[in-house]
Amino acid sequence: MRPRRTPWFSYLLVVAGAIAMTIPFLDMVMTSFKGPGEAGELPYKFLPEKFHFGNYLAAMEQLNMGLLFRNSIIMTAVAVTSVLVTSSMAGYALAKLRFPGRPVVFRFVLATMMFPPFLFLIPDFLILTNWPLVGGNDFLGRGGEGGLTTSVAALFIPFVVSGFGIFLMRQFIVTIPDEMIEAARIDGAREFTIWRHIILPQTTPVLITLGLLTFVGTWNEYVWSLLISTVNPDLMTLPVGIQLLQSYLDPNQTLPLVMAGLVISIAPVLTIFLLMQKYYIRGVMISGLK
Amino acid sequence: MATVLHDERKSPRGGPDRRAGFARSGMAKARRREAVVAYAFLSPTLAFFAIFLILPLVFAFVLAFSNWGGFDLTQIEFVGLDNFAEILNPASSFVAPILVNTLLFAFGSVVLTFVASIVLANAINRLRFQGLWRTLYFLPIVTTVTAVGNIWKYLYEPSGGLINGLLNALGMPSVRFLADPDTALPSVVVVQAWASLGVAILILTAGLKNIPETYYEAAALDGAGVLRTFWNITLPLLRPALLFVLITQVIAGLQSFALIIVMTGGGPGNATNVAGFEMYQQAFNYGLWGIASAMALVLFLIIFAITLLQLWLFRQRGEETS
Repeated sequence: MRPRRTPWFSYLLVVAGAIAMTIPFLDMVMTSFKGPGEAGELPYKFLPEKFHFGNYLAAMEQLNMGLLFRNSIIMTAVAVTSVLVTSSMAGYALAKLRFPGRPVVFRFVLATMMFPPFLFLIPDFLILTNWPLVGGNDFLGRGGEGGLTTSVAALFIPFVVSGFGIFLMRQFIVTIPDEMIEAARIDGAREFTIWRHIILPQTTPVLITLGLLTFVGTWNEYVWSLLISTVNPDLMTLPVGIQLLQSYLDPNQTLPLVMAGLVISIAPVLTIFLLMQKYYIRGVMISGLK
Repeated sequence: MATVLHDERKSPRGGPDRRAGFARSGMAKARRREAVVAYAFLSPTLAFFAIFLILPLVFAFVLAFSNWGGFDLTQIEFVGLDNFAEILNPASSFVAPILVNTLLFAFGSVVLTFVASIVLANAINRLRFQGLWRTLYFLPIVTTVTAVGNIWKYLYEPSGGLINGLLNALGMPSVRFLADPDTALPSVVVVQAWASLGVAILILTAGLKNIPETYYEAAALDGAGVLRTFWNITLPLLRPALLFVLITQVIAGLQSFALIIVMTGGGPGNATNVAGFEMYQQAFNYGLWGIASAMALVLFLIIFAITLLQLWLFRQRGEETS
């Protein structure tokens, strides 16, 4: 056996690292309570002289956070729902239904994961702005004032289907015993009923994992939302809005208000992550070790 | 991924219905119905991929070889390799500093993450409360880049930021981390490494758990020291996890630019400008769709080549040691 002494050196390393990981967050929280002009003062002080809780209300108001929350919630809710539905449906077909072309479709789904998101930025944007018959466009997609970028749909469209999600669901649905599905078929259940009443309940933990990964990914998404927000400011999400609206803030209070806004905007994700860490971490592991 | 395909050929519900030869026409009907249902289940997915995967890829590819003002598709002008000649020209800023920055940003942050995560994962693996430590290191992963970028921008701030506050307390002068072209890129690299440490640690601690304790006991019996054990047992057995961390972090580093938008906007000058951000600006600020698409294609090919190279290198080393 290896001698089991207290690993002092390891403690030292890990604690030092943990301090480096958490101090920036604590500095954000402390700064969010600082008073006018206090954040830029020398010498640096970690704690605020007085806790200005009003910063949070001011941030909500001045950063127009009602609108930002609305857009972030719509974008995330649609993406999560749609990814869960499409992934489990496609995963079921690929795992348990026989049809010509199945190996090709499955390989195609795997291949979709190879392409990094930045490749789609330009063409997706052009496709949305030239979408026919919306936002004033004619049936050839010309003429309007921005096509689909006039609608909140522009925010979530690129995120409603996930190749990884389909792959993940397929891998888990394969392990459901065929007898269960066969028995339901003999009882006259339609495939949709089987999907709804056998596949979904049997895969709930994976659905939670996939839902969490999608939730965190979409809530924090930056580049696409930034692009859509620059053509249509009504569609700013939390991460984008807090960045872009900084210049409208009271210059004496910019930093504390930005930090307060950030605390508010990351609170939902952080809470859900801390509560459901097990599922989230499992998702990261699976996406890592596929 | 090849292993995944194994059970493809097995019929999903092989068995009794196969034998019922007399019911062949009924079976054919049932089978056709099953195929229709399967494609119905797949239809939203396939429709999405057709419009938002295949069409964009074709469009991006065509644009990379074209000159286009951005309004009327009939005015697209095929220019062959002109866009590539323009951006890959030694005089163009895309090669230097932008591509050079991209590589420095990706590999710089990966080296930092890699070394720190190997050390920390090994240390965490010896401690109690592993879940707690992992959670703390994981916080930036679930935090929006706006928060990470703004927090660090303020930490680096010469007037009132924490890091310069520490330097001043130690009697050193303030450093204009993000405003000085010499320190801007390394400063952003540190943040990228800090923000991706959690995933690397998570994967590596899981990898360490998979190494059987008996190997360490045998090494201890043979009198191997800590470093020797680490070098001869931990590192080789951790190879799959290490490879995964390396490849995913390099890919992420090469294409990410959200942190750069938030922290520096590519500046000062072009000191922190990277390929992804340059592509974004060429397309959406200057309307040079062809040039931007060519940049995207070049970056994609670089990512692809580096990934293949890393896989190949690891396989080579694997054969040497075994």
